[in-house]
Amino acid sequence: MSGKTLNNRIRELRFLNGEMTQADLGNEIGVTRQTIAAIEQGKYAPTLEAAFRIADVFGVGLDDVFTWEAAPEKGAEHR
Amino acid sequence: MPYREKIVWLSLFAIAVAFVPYFTYVAMMPAASEGLPSLRQLILYAVATGVQVVILLGGRAWLALRSPGDVRIPPDERDRAIRQKSVQTAYFVLIGGTILAGVVMPFYSSGWEIVNTALFMIVLAEVVNYSIAAFSYRRQA
Repeated sequence: MSGKTLNNRIRELRFLNGEMTQADLGNEIGVTRQTIAAIEQGKYAPTLEAAFRIADVFGVGLDDVFTWEAAPEKGAEHR
Repeated sequence: MPYREKIVWLSLFAIAVAFVPYFTYVAMMPAASEGLPSLRQLILYAVATGVQVVILLGGRAWLALRSPGDVRIPPDERDRAIRQKSVQTAYFVLIGGTILAGVVMPFYSSGWEIVNTALFMIVLAEVVNYSIAAFSYRRQA
């Protein structure tokens, strides 16, 4: 394993786009509010098509929404 | 909780109510000595299946009345991914049950013992299917 995780800025982008709700974003790309919540929390990795649809809604590139970054070290948050 | 997760929990509930009593009774009062066909076993199975159908139909109708909009929403990619994973695992349980009841058991058993083993493995596969789906919905919630 690469030790990297898929992170996203969906929550931030929703806020910057008129405080769009999860349900609104879900309606735009054809998924449920719960799926958007799961994606935001990093508990579900969307398909490539859904990822492109999300980026399209915000009018940004895919790498402005999703990033592939090193996972934080265990216990780092306690330091 | 999304509509499809509610359906998963409803299905697990229906199985628990209908088939836990059935298999408990069957385990305590085996019908092997009665030969085929055993009217008692047939009636028991019909009652268990009937209870399951009534709970599923009633539950789905109740959920549809409570949130009619949710029923019309088609499954999205996450629903499909969860279903694919749960069905895939349940398939192996079903294959194992088929081998046990259809290939192994006929060498040493017969009648309702084989039938009930096959039924048990079908129900077990369903339990595995819905349990994995419920766990996946909770883990990704």
